Amino acid sequence: MKTVWMRLAVGAVMTCVVECATVGWTWAVERAEAEETARLLAKLLQSGRLVIEQNQTLIDDPHRGDKGFTPEVFEQQLIREFRQRTGIDLSAMDRTPPSILLPPLARQLLSALVQASKEVVNDAQVVINQRGIGYKNFIPATYGSQTAARFSKRSHVQLKQTTLQPRNPKNDPDEYEASVLRWLAGRPRSEAYVSELTEEGRTLRVVMPIYYVKDCLKCHGEPKGELDISGYPKEGAKEGDLAGAISVTAPLQTGR
Amino acid sequence: MDISVGRPILRGTLPMRLVIFLMILLLQGCGLVIDAVQLVRPLTTDEVQAICARRKVQVGIAVEPFRPFVFPATFTDEGLRVTGLDVELIQELTSALSKHCGNEPIVPVLHLVRYRDLFVLLNESKLDLFVSATSANVPVPGRSGLAYSTPYFYDGGIGGIVAGSEVRERVWAQLRGQSAKPYEPAALRQALAGLTVAVQQGTSAQFYAEAHLSGIKLVLCDSLPAAFESQDPVIDVILGRQPVLHYIVTFVRKSWQQLMSDGQRPLLLTQEHYAVVMAEENYALRRFVNGVLFRLHESGRLAEMRQRWFEETYAYPRRAATEGLPFAAENMAQHYDQGACRIVPGR
Repeated sequence: MKTVWMRLAVGAVMTCVVECATVGWTWAVERAEAEETARLLAKLLQSGRLVIEQNQTLIDDPHRGDKGFTPEVFEQQLIREFRQRTGIDLSAMDRTPPSILLPPLARQLLSALVQASKEVVNDAQVVINQRGIGYKNFIPATYGSQTAARFSKRSHVQLKQTTLQPRNPKNDPDEYEASVLRWLAGRPRSEAYVSELTEEGRTLRVVMPIYYVKDCLKCHGEPKGELDISGYPKEGAKEGDLAGAISVTAPLQTGR
Repeated sequence: MDISVGRPILRGTLPMRLVIFLMILLLQGCGLVIDAVQLVRPLTTDEVQAICARRKVQVGIAVEPFRPFVFPATFTDEGLRVTGLDVELIQELTSALSKHCGNEPIVPVLHLVRYRDLFVLLNESKLDLFVSATSANVPVPGRSGLAYSTPYFYDGGIGGIVAGSEVRERVWAQLRGQSAKPYEPAALRQALAGLTVAVQQGTSAQFYAEAHLSGIKLVLCDSLPAAFESQDPVIDVILGRQPVLHYIVTFVRKSWQQLMSDGQRPLLLTQEHYAVVMAEENYALRRFVNGVLFRLHESGRLAEMRQRWFEETYAYPRRAATEGLPFAAENMAQHYDQGACRIVPGR
């Protein structure tokens, strides 16, 4: 029977302790590392989205040609945002000893995600630096979709933005994601995320919710159904409503 | 049977070698040698077959937005995209090419460059064709080696917009006060005399203004957005493609107004039809494009496309995401810059 085990994550160490009682130490460590890696990947993608959001006015400025929002500038801001949210300094990863808080797998994959993010910002330069054009559709959602897709192509870990009513059909939730999103939608806003083993313990699923903030409501707020600047009908959302989630799918080698 | 009777020419006697050598010398210039070889064994096929062979068609599009023919390059969930009526037409042409090439998919490689550079790239054979609301009927001096397809957009024309109602009223009063009809060149000259008139460099509006509108202060701008933003000089009137100007004052810059000829219809300085541009000697490609346009016209598809882009309410980023064409960043002008405006001296 398929094991269904859902919990609100309160820390990878606790996971280890609970699991070690019933299964082998190796598996528990692997799961804990995978879970922490997935959590950090979701946080990093979220940080990137925030950096884009913070620079939205600059990106959409029609009076400025070269915005100076280069991949390098983006990377610095991304590292700063990620450090504020996790306490981990990506620029000092080489000098930080391995630990449960920054597992070896996470080091490798976080670097890959930073690289994918920079590439997306780099590819967008021709659009971002257009002078005389305001809205360019380089927004947190499009940045996130492109970055997640690029990262997932190169990694065994799959990263995705998803929501119950996606504007981009590629962000359609699968059955598992839809059930978690529905569950999250009925709960108050929280920093917690959902972690679960599926496929008899062979796959780890982590879903980190994203909530609407004030800036999002220009396109996703009210009046519901009115077309926003990009041509999509507004969702009629309010600040603090569940916007969607970042979903991470990681295969575990050992299995249960 | 004895097959050793004949002797190969190149193993012939010395006089024979001399004759061949002299014959080659007589074919002065490489072109003649190539022509001679082609008579025996044609080296190249026509341009449509060449596109089939390489499975790519090199297409130019203006990086300056000519809404709704070409919208600004956009970042979408799928990557960089460009969209508009002209882009949809490119998709139709590409689809027809794919069918023609034995259902081998032909990929359109888009080059987003400044409008004026489209002509340069075509002359340098870096493009097979370009589509950017280009007038097929306004004479342009010095633009040789080009050929136009049959029009895909009729009833275009050069029109004008003004920033404030004061200038509009002045032009309208001038037109009304004359015995000549508003569309008479003399009436237009009189109505626009003394005004600062901007046109985009390299477009038919520039060539029309240079040829017909004496008495104006002519300003050349790198793009339409540059004309809107110009402060030195301040622009009274912008002349350009009327359908583009109509779209802009309706959806983008609502403070600007169209010049009208009689309060009902927009004032047209001349009529224009927009066509696909190709190299003059590419007869096969032109025949092919004309055939596709004819079928699109006859089937009602062209009218449908026009309806989609000119009549419907939509937001272009969404259409860019769902139906736009991708382009490589390296094929785009380094960064689109609206540029600036310059007064043409001596006018």
